[in-house]
Amino acid sequence: MKRSWYAAPYALWMLMFTVVPLLFVCYYAFTTKTGDFTLANITKIFDYTPVLLDSLRLALYCTVLCLLIGYPAAYFLSSKDLSRSQSLAVLILVPMWMNFLLRTYAMMTLFENNGVLNSIFEALGLPKQQIIGTEGAVLVGMVYNFLPFMILPIYTVLKKLDPRVIEAAEDLGANPFRVISRVVLPLSVPGIVSGITMVFMPAVTTFAISRLMSSGMIYLMGDMIEEYFISMNNRNVGSAMSLVMMVLILISIGLLRKADPEGQGGGLW
Amino acid sequence: MVQDTRLIELKGISKSFGDTQVLHNIDLYIRKCEFITLLGPSGCGKTTLLRIIGGFEMPDEGSVLFEGADMLPVPPYKRRINTVFQKYALFSHLNVFDNIAFGLNLKEPEALGVKTRRQKKEEIARRVNRMLRLVKMEGYEKRSIDQLSGGQQQRIAIARALVNEPEVLLLDEPLGALDLKLRKEMQVELKAMQQQLGITFIYVTHDQEEALTMSDTVVVLNGGRIQQIGEPKRIYDEPKNAFVADFIGESNILSGVMKEDCLVEMLGVEFQCVDEGFGKDEPVDVVVRPEDIMIVGTDVGMLTGVVESVIFKGVHYEMMVNTGTMRWKVHSTTMQPVGSRVGMSIVPFNIHIMRKEA
Repeated sequence: MKRSWYAAPYALWMLMFTVVPLLFVCYYAFTTKTGDFTLANITKIFDYTPVLLDSLRLALYCTVLCLLIGYPAAYFLSSKDLSRSQSLAVLILVPMWMNFLLRTYAMMTLFENNGVLNSIFEALGLPKQQIIGTEGAVLVGMVYNFLPFMILPIYTVLKKLDPRVIEAAEDLGANPFRVISRVVLPLSVPGIVSGITMVFMPAVTTFAISRLMSSGMIYLMGDMIEEYFISMNNRNVGSAMSLVMMVLILISIGLLRKADPEGQGGGLW
Repeated sequence: MVQDTRLIELKGISKSFGDTQVLHNIDLYIRKCEFITLLGPSGCGKTTLLRIIGGFEMPDEGSVLFEGADMLPVPPYKRRINTVFQKYALFSHLNVFDNIAFGLNLKEPEALGVKTRRQKKEEIARRVNRMLRLVKMEGYEKRSIDQLSGGQQQRIAIARALVNEPEVLLLDEPLGALDLKLRKEMQVELKAMQQQLGITFIYVTHDQEEALTMSDTVVVLNGGRIQQIGEPKRIYDEPKNAFVADFIGESNILSGVMKEDCLVEMLGVEFQCVDEGFGKDEPVDVVVRPEDIMIVGTDVGMLTGVVESVIFKGVHYEMMVNTGTMRWKVHSTTMQPVGSRVGMSIVPFNIHIMRKEA
């Protein structure tokens, strides 16, 4: 038996649940409810330009924040001091084992008007804050959910970094700041690229997190697509929007691949 | 030429990793322009000692002085020392030119004797090109590191360190990954570079031949202790103990008893020797180098034995001769057939007596 046969169950799975649905998406995107060809579904997206821009903007903020928080965390995790870094690794990984909706609900109880944070404010005699419903709350929810996807690829790259290379930089006169800026950072670019891809892609199609954390005030593309499919029962426009998002994501991956042509980042996609 | 001024002094250096003590109370000084080699088997502490000098490890006890001043609080990036690392540790994100220029780029223009940024760039290019010429790698400026062979990477690592004009260059088994022929060539080139530039080299190796070929001074280490310090010839001819004798070159080591000055008894036979100052009937270790044993007729030999094996080694044959009490390693340019009976003779000058280690 040829080895490629071992992948047959997976190939079948892919065919049934990825390839065929994708073909359906393409079909619905370019047809009307009665099955006639049309481009109206695609052009419909221009009605939602502000939502699309919001989605891209929030995904961008989220990615930048994840990078700013995730890089130092990954750097710390990859340090030789195992006892401390392992406990931090557990702290980062354990929430990942839970479903993202559960995690988001947990966030909500923290930030609600009568939530944990506001109770603390109250006890300290500070005014209550309206947090849920703001863009900031959505962003916090997104960063919390997607941060591990930034940390892991960067951590992988940093862990593989030869400590002798860092010593060589010190040896040649680089102070700790320059060791990072001239050697560690450039050598971890593959991990950064991979982390950006892995955060930006799910972030740009975020749904549920945005609705929950904003109590329905902020709608992103993900929510929009969900709404078209479920509430409005219009799978044609929903498919068209999905297709546009997929194309946008493919373009962004294509651009990022140029920065890491050899795919050293050890990413998941 | 080696100068008499002591550039680096190590005093009472001890170091442990966990429960294992890798260095015991090391005292050593390194002179200006000296080519000094730390030689020993793996795990003897030689690399740790080098890393302490480079600033990458802190000793548990003891002090390191550089021109008389305490060097331990000085971080590696401020030491006037550069290192050629074992596996080169080149920067894979930079090309050959930028690797060599790395140290110079970090310097202020004034430190390179120029005023403006643009002049600095020109000066760096000039110095890097000079280095590329020195290590015979001209024309490789734009190459990426992973396009280079092991030998070429090694040259770039040396150039990257030397371009900073350090007072001291540390080399951690820099030739370990190269094949024999290239290693021999690089040995000669390294020695020539060291003499040409007048820089102190501290060289770590486990290859005794390499140590003897290149060094002004050899420091033999074992088990974290210095066994012997001396010029290569002295270490070879007069090893201080059985470890050094065994590690440096090949040797026959056997136990003996000093009968009187210049007379040693071993394997029940008395031999004339040239060593004095031992106690009467003091037990000693005796070293005889394989090339110092002459094959003679059985009638005139001091010892007779049967040839057990012969291996052709290129210049000479290596034979194992069994005398019944001991198997001797003998090097000779003439071959004796296996199974033949031969006599062996050793001149007094070639019998080296060492005190027994406590």
